Amino acid sequence: MSFTGFRSYFCDEQRSHCQLWAINVCRLIEANVTSLIINSEEMSDIRHALLRRDPLSAAKEVLYHLDISLGSALQSSTGPTPGLEKSMVELVEEFIFHVPKDRNIQPKRMSCVQELQLLEIMCSYFQEQSKDAIRQIIFSALFSLQGNKADESRMAMLGKLVSMAIAVCRVPILECAAVWLQRTHSAWCVRLAQVLMDDYCTLVPCAISTLQNICSASPRFCCQLITAVTALYDFSSDELTPPPALLEMLVGWITEDPRLLLLTFINTPLNSSLPLGCLEITPLLGLLRWCVKAPLAYQRCRKPALTNGHGESEKGTASEELYSKLHLSVLQVFLMLQVHLTEQNLIGRLAVLPVESVATLVEEVSRLCEKLTPFPAANHIQLALDRLAQALQVAMATGALLCAREDLRALCSRLPHNNLLQLVMSGPVVQPPPHSGPFQPNMYPHIHPGRPSSLSPHSPHPVLSPHPALSPHRPLTAHTAHPSLSPHAFHPAAMAFPYRPIR
Amino acid sequence: MSAQGDCEFLVKRARELVPQDPYAAKAWLITARTLYPADFNIQYEMYSIERNAERTASAGRLLYDIFVNFPEQPVVWREIAVITAALRNDSQDKHAQFLKGVFETLPGPVQCKMLLKATEQCFNTLEKAEMLLLLLKRFPESVVQHGVSLGESLLEAETVENLDTPVNCFRKLFVCDVLPLILNNPNMCLPVSLLYKYMHKAAEFYICYVTREPSADAQIQGSQEVGGLKSPGRGRSQRYVIDGLSEKSSVVTEPWDRLLEMVGVVGSLCDWQGEKASRSYSELLQRVSELCRYMSATDSEGFSRCCAQIVTCCTLVLFHSAFHYVSAVQPSLFQGHTSLSSCPWVLLEDLSGVYTDVEVERKHTHKKRKLADGREKTMSSDDEDLLAKGRGRHIVVNKAEMPSWAETLEHFRTARESWDLLHSHQSLETEFAKICSLWKTEIWMWFRIFLTDMIIYQGQYRKALSSLGLMSSLQLQQNQNQNQNPLSGSSSLETQRAIIQQASCHYALGEYRMACEKLLEVVSGLMPQNHEAVKSSEEQRKPRSKTRRGNDLRLLPCTSKSILPFCLQLMLACFKLRAFTDNRDDLALGHVIVLLQYDWPQGENLFLKAVDKICQQGSFQYENFFNYVTNIDMLEEFAYLRTTEGGRVQLELLPNQGMLIKNPSPALGVELNTLLLPGAQKADRHHTVTRGITKGVKEDFRLAMERQVSRCGENLLTVLHRFCINEKIILVQSLP
Repeated sequence: MSFTGFRSYFCDEQRSHCQLWAINVCRLIEANVTSLIINSEEMSDIRHALLRRDPLSAAKEVLYHLDISLGSALQSSTGPTPGLEKSMVELVEEFIFHVPKDRNIQPKRMSCVQELQLLEIMCSYFQEQSKDAIRQIIFSALFSLQGNKADESRMAMLGKLVSMAIAVCRVPILECAAVWLQRTHSAWCVRLAQVLMDDYCTLVPCAISTLQNICSASPRFCCQLITAVTALYDFSSDELTPPPALLEMLVGWITEDPRLLLLTFINTPLNSSLPLGCLEITPLLGLLRWCVKAPLAYQRCRKPALTNGHGESEKGTASEELYSKLHLSVLQVFLMLQVHLTEQNLIGRLAVLPVESVATLVEEVSRLCEKLTPFPAANHIQLALDRLAQALQVAMATGALLCAREDLRALCSRLPHNNLLQLVMSGPVVQPPPHSGPFQPNMYPHIHPGRPSSLSPHSPHPVLSPHPALSPHRPLTAHTAHPSLSPHAFHPAAMAFPYRPIR
Repeated sequence: MSAQGDCEFLVKRARELVPQDPYAAKAWLITARTLYPADFNIQYEMYSIERNAERTASAGRLLYDIFVNFPEQPVVWREIAVITAALRNDSQDKHAQFLKGVFETLPGPVQCKMLLKATEQCFNTLEKAEMLLLLLKRFPESVVQHGVSLGESLLEAETVENLDTPVNCFRKLFVCDVLPLILNNPNMCLPVSLLYKYMHKAAEFYICYVTREPSADAQIQGSQEVGGLKSPGRGRSQRYVIDGLSEKSSVVTEPWDRLLEMVGVVGSLCDWQGEKASRSYSELLQRVSELCRYMSATDSEGFSRCCAQIVTCCTLVLFHSAFHYVSAVQPSLFQGHTSLSSCPWVLLEDLSGVYTDVEVERKHTHKKRKLADGREKTMSSDDEDLLAKGRGRHIVVNKAEMPSWAETLEHFRTARESWDLLHSHQSLETEFAKICSLWKTEIWMWFRIFLTDMIIYQGQYRKALSSLGLMSSLQLQQNQNQNQNPLSGSSSLETQRAIIQQASCHYALGEYRMACEKLLEVVSGLMPQNHEAVKSSEEQRKPRSKTRRGNDLRLLPCTSKSILPFCLQLMLACFKLRAFTDNRDDLALGHVIVLLQYDWPQGENLFLKAVDKICQQGSFQYENFFNYVTNIDMLEEFAYLRTTEGGRVQLELLPNQGMLIKNPSPALGVELNTLLLPGAQKADRHHTVTRGITKGVKEDFRLAMERQVSRCGENLLTVLHRFCINEKIILVQSLP
């Protein structure tokens, strides 16, 4: 089953290949699908055979072998996912990513057309591979970074493959890419994001609509892509300011269904260990960074262009509105997150926003504010601080940020004065509650009983099923997307502080 | 700084931001709510933003929150009052639609609580009922708790308000909205007596709704509806408003069907015998009449158990059929029908046999006389055995003039059968009488019309006359109640309808003088039509009149065109008996001859009989002859009678001749002649008075004949109409 996909691509190949194919099939049958790992001797035979062929057919041959060996290994083993033979890795690196094995033998490079053909073959393979697990393993065998010199070409090929998958809407590849974005160091993720942004945002301006439509096809990929682009565009320079088209697209996605932002988080098992330095589990902090820094950064951009005419400022206003909308969505997602955390009994036990990341953000904001202080930008500073304060408050109240108000005060001590921030730092004035009994989160009863919760519970395995909430059969009512009140009174952050803000 | 100060600050900031940056405003409020989750103003501000932006789902969600968390806030109650008001009225206004949408997003229990609470705040019974109704419609489980009490409060309100018609807003809500909920709720367990009470309330409403009188503006509207006879329930609701309700909610579609459905439901709830949810009213009747036959044959106890069922079903069938009959016979009585689209009809004795009687009389003179005498005797009292005579009577209708004649007669028959069944047993009759007095059916004009026709059909003419008397007093009363009655102009013939029926009844009773008196009263209000048009319609019914004779009835259109001929025939019938008795009565014979001109030569045989009689007498005196006889055949016959071959009959047909012979005083003669003759004959009078008595007579007769021949082309109906009006006194006086 697993190799039928490739079979069709090889059927018109030369005879030698057919023989190879036949041999493999026979071996499969004889060995009763138990020990299929090709030994190094055979592997070197294969390599020699491959060296004689043209690069495209050699690459295809390697893919074929990869499929056979991993596919059958996965079928036979019931335990953990089988590892990749070192020899196989070498074949992949030599014949697909063209890293020379010997100094003396320089592998033949593929022409651009051949490379495109190879990409097409890969695209089709992943599309037609019906087993999620095999597809996933092959993808990671090809594109997991190995910390060697092949990584650069890996990235190059991956960028092209994902870009192509977006263009022709190959959902299985996008799903694999989503997993890749979750397991790979953020530096590489940012590079992939950069490639995609170049392809879809910068080089061809109207191509963004293609990307836009991907959201309904693979929301998981989009969720990860958002995290990646927020890591990419950090407002550190004009180049690293989010392009307006991108911003508009993201806001569109998020307002369409805010649950998108929680997709990766919800579908990731709690105990899964993610590699160090990978992307944040949600795009929330990244988006928050955008919203808080945007007023300051745009102010900075505008300084030299003050006399530049009308167009700029209008674009600025449009972006301002988008950021405002985005900020609101982020707050609303925090409220949704609270429902989820409450349902899973995770309140106070899981830091969705790591305090360190928040601290970094506060640090950045205070630095930006300092830079702007000589200029009359008080309004923009206040807007940024309002948003920061709101986000901190809502994140704490919803249990996304585990931080006591004392710590918050220490954290924010260097920020300029802001009324709301003061209020948030000091916390609400505690008064006898108007209702008897503690305040409970208000679970909104569904009008239609028996409807499953919109946020699926943590599953033991990362499930690649399409996001249930986005399937067209389920009506998207606002109830579930709607916030519920916080279990405020019980929250460790809800402590009184005598100091009150100045107004 | 207080918590309240914080909240005010937060809300104020949000409010400031709404116009320029609504997203930021919401972000502020979300933050504020996480800080002060128990503050009402923050949440109300959130709701206000969503409501003002008409975002249904989020507004609903927030309304839910504030409703649950702040149930005592007056602001919340004001909001709920606004929303529930939008639910009650059927406004298509965008904001009202939005508010309805908001309500729909709320979870059921909250909707339920909200409606109950809103109901408590209503002081107006109607509003309160409408509000509760919203609740009951949405939450069937609440019907058990509130259904009956709501129903009773509506019925009570009706009593308290002292409304004069069951077609009022309270009853409408009760019957059309509350009752179906109560009856169709499987968890309701109502006592049978209450079920009957509700059923009767509903029936009264539906019947009165269907039979409501036309309103002034409906008259104009209704003129476009032709063929409304077939389904009187359809399209008749236009532009009719029940006081207190909107035009839309005043509409009751297919009332009879609804009523039948309700009978089915109530029947199954009451465990009716043999009840299988009848699909039509006639089926309903058939079922109960079977039941009635079966029950009375067995035990009296079982019968009393079924009594209520029989009476209820039978009553409904009676009113259903009677309504359909009357709506065909007098459509202008009801909303949606007009006198323009169809004329009223009147049930009368069939007189098409008035000309053919002569042969029978010739052959069986004794028998006929005996019959006639017998009739005079028995008709004077409504004997029981006359009921038997009423059975199997035939009703003649001109099928071309009334296309739905078969249905109409069928409805008439069904209604009579239901009536008979209701009066077949003492206990049934008592029950039925109770319903009638409860519904005040005695003031239902339309039902009185049916009853009268039924009594006429039964041959109880004395009773029919008193029924007609009741009818005219009812009419008088109703006209007084609504002085601006739009029908007053067109109803002239309708009021005469009763008089014609009275005439017909008097005739059937043998009271010819009364009959004639009534007739002439009618004729004076009629306009003579062109004779030819009438003739064609008369010819159409000829074959029928030959096969069916005697005791038949006829449905006649209540128009001058049809009524004048009937009057003439009825007069002929009155005078015919008198004219052909053994005693000589030239005046009666003369009237007969005049009247026989109509529909000539139908009455040829009768005319020949009259001629025979004149010949036998050898003389004949009828001074009006030349005024009213223009028929050339008759003139010829009379001219012949004077000749030797004709038998030298002495004819005194000129006015003065008779006068001079009878009364030698010329002065008196002149006086009388002036009275009796129209102006055209004045010259002759002087002429004849100064002449010799016998000498010039022959010459005068010849001249009169000649002149009369020239009058042959005159409109006969005009001549006969003039005859009725001018000779009114003589005509009435010449009858006993």
